[in-house]
This record gives sequence, structure tokens and C-alpha cells, in this order.
Amino acid sequence: MSDPISTASFLGLSGALLGVGLFGILTRRNFILLLISIEIAINAAVLNFVYFAAFSSTAASGLNGQAAAVVLVGLAATEIAVGLAIVLALSRLRGSINVAEATSLRL
Amino acid sequence: MVDSTLLLRFLPEFAILGAGLLVLLAERMGAQRRELFGGLAIAGMALALLFVAADAGLAGLGSLRGVGASSIDAPVATGALYAFSSLGLLFQGFFLASALLVAVALLSRPSREPGSPVAYALLLFATLGMLLVALAADLVFLLLALEVTAISSYLLVGYTRRDPRGLEAAMKFYIIGALSASLSFFGASLLYGAYGTTSLTVIGHSWPTGAGSLASAGYAFLLVGLGFEVTAVPFHMWAVDVYDGAPTEVSAFLAGGTKKVGLFAFFLLFLVPLLLVGTLSTPAGSARESIQLALALLAVLTMTLGNLLALLQKEMKRLLAYSSISQAGYMLLGLAVGTGPALTGASLQILAHVFLKTGAFLVVAAVAALGVGPLVADWKGLGLRRPYLSAAFALMLLGLAGIPLTVGFVSKFVLFSAAIQAEGWFLWLAIAGLLNSALSVFYYARILKTMYVDHVDPGAPPAPSPSEPSLAFDGLGWGRAGAIGLATVVIVALGIYPQPVLSALGAAVQHFLTLGV
Repeated sequence: MSDPISTASFLGLSGALLGVGLFGILTRRNFILLLISIEIAINAAVLNFVYFAAFSSTAASGLNGQAAAVVLVGLAATEIAVGLAIVLALSRLRGSINVAEATSLRL
Repeated sequence: MVDSTLLLRFLPEFAILGAGLLVLLAERMGAQRRELFGGLAIAGMALALLFVAADAGLAGLGSLRGVGASSIDAPVATGALYAFSSLGLLFQGFFLASALLVAVALLSRPSREPGSPVAYALLLFATLGMLLVALAADLVFLLLALEVTAISSYLLVGYTRRDPRGLEAAMKFYIIGALSASLSFFGASLLYGAYGTTSLTVIGHSWPTGAGSLASAGYAFLLVGLGFEVTAVPFHMWAVDVYDGAPTEVSAFLAGGTKKVGLFAFFLLFLVPLLLVGTLSTPAGSARESIQLALALLAVLTMTLGNLLALLQKEMKRLLAYSSISQAGYMLLGLAVGTGPALTGASLQILAHVFLKTGAFLVVAAVAALGVGPLVADWKGLGLRRPYLSAAFALMLLGLAGIPLTVGFVSKFVLFSAAIQAEGWFLWLAIAGLLNSALSVFYYARILKTMYVDHVDPGAPPAPSPSEPSLAFDGLGWGRAGAIGLATVVIVALGIYPQPVLSALGAAVQHFLTLGV
């Protein structure tokens, strides 16, 4: 591949993506935005797998990484589906999807 | 390309999966009785336990063997996703034991409560993930199996869907779980980037000699991600809320079952590099020191803080949750020492904890069903009113504190003496562990005093009555009574005669260690 992106700058990108996701998970109070943050954080790992697979030394190792990336995409979808199920049950019960209002357990 | 041996090799997993699907199918067909769902789940788990015992080479079960004896503890083939180790098979047994206790106890949940088929199906799927973790030989396989367990357990926490506390706990558990998963997967992607493979063996062997910053960062991310899973101390805050808000039987499963899965993942990830570095000369030797120091620090912090916070708790479930956090510290201690005996001790501690902690939470569930409040003070005088239940609980608390004649003593004895034998600064780890055990006796003894010694005021309201008095054993129910009785018997039996389990674990750990190096 001609003119590859350097690993350092690429890791900067995926690291930033992870950072954005983690920041969102820790600060967002709206559950839907929180789910989006989770998706961003998981996609940082997916992106890494894809990048490293594209520049891997052998074909077998490249396939290994691509397979991991595909599996991770599926996992992220499952994770979000479960999150939506929880938020749906919560909003039926309380009429709100604000995480900050969930305070009946002391943190 | 269906390999016929594949079915045979995964007989326990298929038994669990089949039972889970049957439960859901029965629900679709209009079945209503909790006993039917519970019976299916228990049958599936018992069958799986039988297959696992056969695979592990228990005498007399040879004909049920699905995995050939030659493929157990065999060197891991390149690119293999799973491998059968005798330690993994023993851990499968532990996981199944915990799931089985919970499944039996769930039979006594209120009969009108919704969601019992969902609870059993999720319990089975979580168990499936746990069984797969014990076989993992590949990083992505390991993390996926962990996720199967995690995703099922988020839903399990909120399975009633009517209880705001349960749903809130499910939500918190979910957020923390997603956080931990994204960190773990990011770590895995870095390790893949460093070595071009996701095979655990290759990664473990490459790291000591070629520990680039990419790989070290990967390990650090995995340490944090899995740290959440095992409730190691800076990452423990979620556990107390979740254990508190979840239905108590589910808390029993989380503390006694799913947490141990994370510990086994720790074994798989960190042992090989840890051992291998030891065989190399410096500077790799100092890398070993630094991982051991990190793990030791995590262990000491976890047990000390867990114990100190448990001392302050007034609610029974929260107290047990903190005590569960501190117990994770003892298990990490065994990993930090990293010798054969220490790992045997840690594994035995995990086994002990399966019965002690699952049992203790199940007693709490039973006592709550009797109408007693959530505070420790509410248990006043229980020793006289419910002598058998109280005796079982007292035994479990003594076991958690590490008093002789219980399995808790044996495991701590093996663990701490291994740390002392390892010499060097590990001696301090043993001392820290012993001091912590002494500290934990305070709060366990306080509960015992409340139950047995404290006088009930004559003017106090009359003893609460069971929420479902029609159940067997004065409102306790067959399921709970059976599970608690079973746990009690195992705790005493292993405390008095631990030899067979000890030697089996010791041999399995030896195989595991030689396999890694």
C-alpha cells in the first residue's frame, strides 16, 4: 500500500475516539446519548483491528484481525440492543431516561 | 464442514444451550409453572456437570467422555480458538456448581412474580459464557465469552422489570460493563497490533522478550477492563450498588459465579507472560517484578479497602458485597505470587467462595422472604427464631473469615503459606492477607452477635411473618432450603476433608503452568 498512515498518528485517532467515547459514558446523563458513546468507544477497538489487519505481515494474521473486527461489530450491536431493552423497561416504569434520576441506590 | 467430534467436545455447553432454548420454547408454548422452567434449567446444568466431571477424568464416568484424554493439557495448536486444560475443566465445575445453587434457590421466588422463564434462560446463557471462558485459547474468543456472560447478567439483574431498584441496578451494571468491555477490546486490539495475532499463547510468549510500548499499553487496558469485572479496588464502586439492587439470588450468582470468570480470565492472560519472564535474565526479570508489584498492589488495596468499607456497612447485602470485594483481593494475591502452590490456593479460594458467598447471599434472600428487614440490626434474635438457617449463615460467615473446619480456612491456609514459601517481599503479602483476615472477623462477629446475643426489646413489634407462609419449612421454600443445605454440606465436607480437591487442583495447576512455559 502506498503512502501508509503512520501507526502513531493512527493510534492517535483511535485513542481520541476511545477518549470521546469514555468521556461520553462518564458524563452523559441521557441514556440514548450514553449508548452512542458506548458505540463510539467500542468502534475505536474495531478501527484498530481493521488498521492493524490492513498492514499485517502475513495473510493469515490479516484475516485474524479482520475476523476480530467483524465479530466486534456484531458484539457492539448486541450490547446496544441490550442497553435499549433496559432503557425501554426503565422509561415504562418511570417515564424518564435520565441516568441522573436513578438514585434509589446510593453510589 | 461440520466436525462430528465438535458436538462431543462441547457436550456440556450444548446441554446448557439446549436447556436455555427449551426454557424459552416452553414459555412460548404457554407453560407457566416456575417448576417446569427451573426443572429444565437444573436438569441441563446437572447434565453439563456430569459431562464436565467425565471430561475431567472422574473415575466411573469414562463412557461419558466427550474430550479425549490426549487432548486435555495438550500443547495449544497454532490458531486454535479453544483448548481443554484440566484447570479449565475444574473451573467449569465451579461455575456450574454456583449456577446450580442459584437455579435451585430461584425455585422459591414468589410464585406470582413475572419473568421466571427469562430468569432461567438468562442464567443458562450466562453459564454458557462462563463455560466457554474456561476453554479460551484466543483473546477474542475469551472476550466474547466474557461478554456472553456479562450481557446475560445485565438482563438477569433487571429480569422482573417491575422493580425500579432492580432495573436501576441493571442500568448501572450495564454502563460499567460497557465501559469495561470497550477498554478490554481496545487493549486486545493493541495486543493484536503488536504481535499480529490474537492467540493467547503466542501473545504470552512474545511479550516478555519483545515488550513494546504498544503491547504493554494493551496489557494495561486489559488489566483495567478486567479489573472492573473482578471488582478490584479502584474499579469496584459499581459492585455494591448492583449487588444491593439486584434480586438477591441474582446477587448470589454475580458474587459467587460471574466474578470468578473474570479471575480465570486474569489467569489466562497474565500467567504465561509472568512465568516466562521469570525464566529470563534481567532486564526482562524486572518486567516480571513490575507486573507482580502491580498485581500485588491491586490485591492488597482490594482486600484492605473492601474490608474497611464492610466494617462501616449497616445493610446486610451491602456488607456482603464489600466482603466479596475484599475476597477478590485474596484471589489476586495468589496470582501476584504466581507459584504453583499460590495458584492452587487462589483456585481453592475461588471454589470456597463459590459456596460461601453464594450460600450467604441465598440465606439473605431467604431471610428477606421471611419478612426481616435489610439492616443487620433487623436480624436481631434470628438465632433463636430460625436456628437452622442461622446456623448455616454463621457457618458461612466463619468460613469467609477463615475459621478452621470450613473450606475457607483451608484455602486461606494454602494461599498464605504459599506466599510465605515464595519468600522475598511476598512475605509482606501474606502478612497483609492475615491482617485483613483478622480485620474481617470484626464485622462477621458483629453479625453473629446481633443474631445470637443481642436481646430483643420486650416492647418491640412481634417477629415478622413470611411473605409466603404456605411454602415448605415455615415459608422458606424447598428450593432455598435445598440450596442452602447443599452449600453448607459442601463447606463442611471440604473443610474437614479437602485432600482430594486439593490434590486435583494442585495437579491441574501444575499442568497449567508447564503448559504455559
